[in-house]
Amino acid sequence: MAEISKYVTLISNDGFEFVVLREAVLISPMIKSMIDSKSEDLFPFREARLSGRCNFEEISQPCSSGQVMEKVVEYFHYWYKNCEKEDVPDMDIPAELCLELLVAADFLGLDSKNLSRPRGD
Amino acid sequence: MQGTSGWVSNLNSIMSSRQQRAGRAIRGPHSALTDFLASQNISANRIREDAEARRNVANDSTAQSADAGASSTAANGDADELAEAETAQVATTADKAAEKKRKTQAAAIDKIKKSKAFKKRKRQDEESDSDGIAEAILAGRAAPLPGQMENCEICEKRFTVTPYSRAGPDGGLLCNKCGKELAQDNKDDQKQKKKKVKARGHARRQVASNRLDGVIGCKSLMTMCIQTLVNNIDLADDLGDMPAQIVDRVARQVAKRRILTPESLNLFLQSGFEDVTVYDAARLGSDDLIRIFQMVPKLTNLKLKNAIQFKDEVMDYLITRKTPLDSLYLHGANLVSEEGWNKFLVAKGKHLKSLRVYFTDKHVGDNFTASLKETCPALKCLKIAHNQEVTDAGIEHIAELKGLEHLSLQLITPTSTEPYVKVVNSIGACLRTLSLTGESLSDLDDRVLDAVHENCTLLRKLRITHSEVMTDAGFVRLFTNWANKPLTFIDFEKCRHIDSSKPRENAHLNGLCSDGFRTLMSHSGKSLKYLNVHACRHITREAFEDAFSLDKEYPELENLEISFCEEVTDFVVGCIFRTCPKLKNLNVFGCMKLKEVRVPKERFLSVCPMRWAWKLKVLRTELVTLVELVRYQVLYVQGCVLFNLGV
Repeated sequence: MAEISKYVTLISNDGFEFVVLREAVLISPMIKSMIDSKSEDLFPFREARLSGRCNFEEISQPCSSGQVMEKVVEYFHYWYKNCEKEDVPDMDIPAELCLELLVAADFLGLDSKNLSRPRGD
Repeated sequence: MQGTSGWVSNLNSIMSSRQQRAGRAIRGPHSALTDFLASQNISANRIREDAEARRNVANDSTAQSADAGASSTAANGDADELAEAETAQVATTADKAAEKKRKTQAAAIDKIKKSKAFKKRKRQDEESDSDGIAEAILAGRAAPLPGQMENCEICEKRFTVTPYSRAGPDGGLLCNKCGKELAQDNKDDQKQKKKKVKARGHARRQVASNRLDGVIGCKSLMTMCIQTLVNNIDLADDLGDMPAQIVDRVARQVAKRRILTPESLNLFLQSGFEDVTVYDAARLGSDDLIRIFQMVPKLTNLKLKNAIQFKDEVMDYLITRKTPLDSLYLHGANLVSEEGWNKFLVAKGKHLKSLRVYFTDKHVGDNFTASLKETCPALKCLKIAHNQEVTDAGIEHIAELKGLEHLSLQLITPTSTEPYVKVVNSIGACLRTLSLTGESLSDLDDRVLDAVHENCTLLRKLRITHSEVMTDAGFVRLFTNWANKPLTFIDFEKCRHIDSSKPRENAHLNGLCSDGFRTLMSHSGKSLKYLNVHACRHITREAFEDAFSLDKEYPELENLEISFCEEVTDFVVGCIFRTCPKLKNLNVFGCMKLKEVRVPKERFLSVCPMRWAWKLKVLRTELVTLVELVRYQVLYVQGCVLFNLGV
């Protein structure tokens, strides 16, 4: 298999593509299972694993629109940058996106019990 | 040119000072300060005139340059030697004066550069060069004095300078109106600054608070979303198709902030729901509580905390509905009368599987427990807490509830052993949970433990607290050859001997002591998740060391409470962490022999021995390394001021 790229592309259901650091993305158990080479060869995810492209186009979640995805990606980086620090200022979350983002966070498993430091694994 | 004008002004000032000296003989009324200054050879008048002269120089420099030019040509035109000499003399004097003036000005500017005001201004605008600022300040000092006329720096109107005239942003003076406006702006700025300072303190407290809540570092996206949602709860109309556990988390957060109002209640009421949990119903009226039953027809599990307005009328309404209630959790509903409860049990008791009642004043009493047998045949879980009406007789009625699997009592009226023995003998065989707690149990004796040993085989959770009469032998008998499977939850808080005159002596081995603790751990250690031996003071160090010796392992233990067990040492705590791989929380309040505990990563330790706090204060560097070691744990050190200093 070709060398794994440092970056992963996430595609929202309205066609926006986000290129995100692989290590940052692994915080989401959902995406991790899509792209992790250790996970089983489940058919729909095999492509994602090989190409490093996670396609949310067919997942008809309201949470995978570009707008929400942008915030999610922002969180990935926020978390990647700050996870080792104490006293981190909260990320700014617009009130109107809050509900969709909440569903997205639930879908992607971005819950406190799943948060672990990336360099540890 | 400058030199000439400087000389003129200098001459002026010399002359005026001479006049002054001459005039000093005539004395008007003087202040003490003027006298003092005069004795020091300082004259306010002279200072003022000097300043005025300097100002005139600055103001008229352009005008005077023309004059000076004219005079110099005139001097050139005259071939008169005397005149020439005079001019030369004038020129040299002027040069000297100018030199002197430049020096004094340079010194003043240097001084200003060192001053606070300069530094402040410099901070405000980093870009402008320092000389410019210093000159501006100098010019500001040389501003017109009270009583003079001046052009306002902002609106350029002419106005009379008063002692209260304010300096403008560029060093000039402002008229009354503009000054007021500027002052207002400054005030707003200051307010913002104050707010910022406040916010900083708030942030520090928030960090400490989060630490105690176990939230350290980055929050999860979910937590932040829920926070934002709760902050804007008024804007939300509907939570949509949110999974139930998220709705529950939102409900908890709303309750924590105490902002659950009749309006926001609607978010948690959807016709499809089967569970409704309101963690803080204090702001809801009876009508709002009735609305719960109207809007959620399929309601099976209802949990209401602080449900003060849950009155008879709400009960009456509930009785008329076909709500298939399985489980009722009512907290603080002390306005429901005895009759109201009775009607409810008669109408709805048939399907009721779980009934939990907290904080009822007078109306849940012996009659209530007596009627349960008839009205609630399916009851599996009964909890009566903070109740002052149920007595021994009431407890005996519970013995007839044959289907009961979970029994939890926290009574206030003192009770005796016999009714509990009767209950355990009668229904103990089915019980999964037996929780007896509260001050009312101080006379509970070994017979209850024996009854539990005899009858209970399915227990998972056992809690018996506050008994002062039970003995170590009783606990040993309970756990030796007990047919029950290992328990997951044990709480023997405050089962200890109390004698204020001889607090250390325990001749009859009352309470949970060493042997009881050893047998407890060998019986249930394998599956124990929660163990509380709070204040069981007579468990010895040897017993702890035996129980947590390194060849043993307690694979499930997550929470251990050993506060006020006096014999716990650093070694014991170390052993505990080694033998309990899943341990998350260890509570060691009041364990005075602890001096220096090393907490492994991802574990929590709550500590509060005063002596420890003192030690931390002395050895602050140690604290820092300790905190470094345990960076991701909660370190709760009550009474230690340094903890709040951001270490």
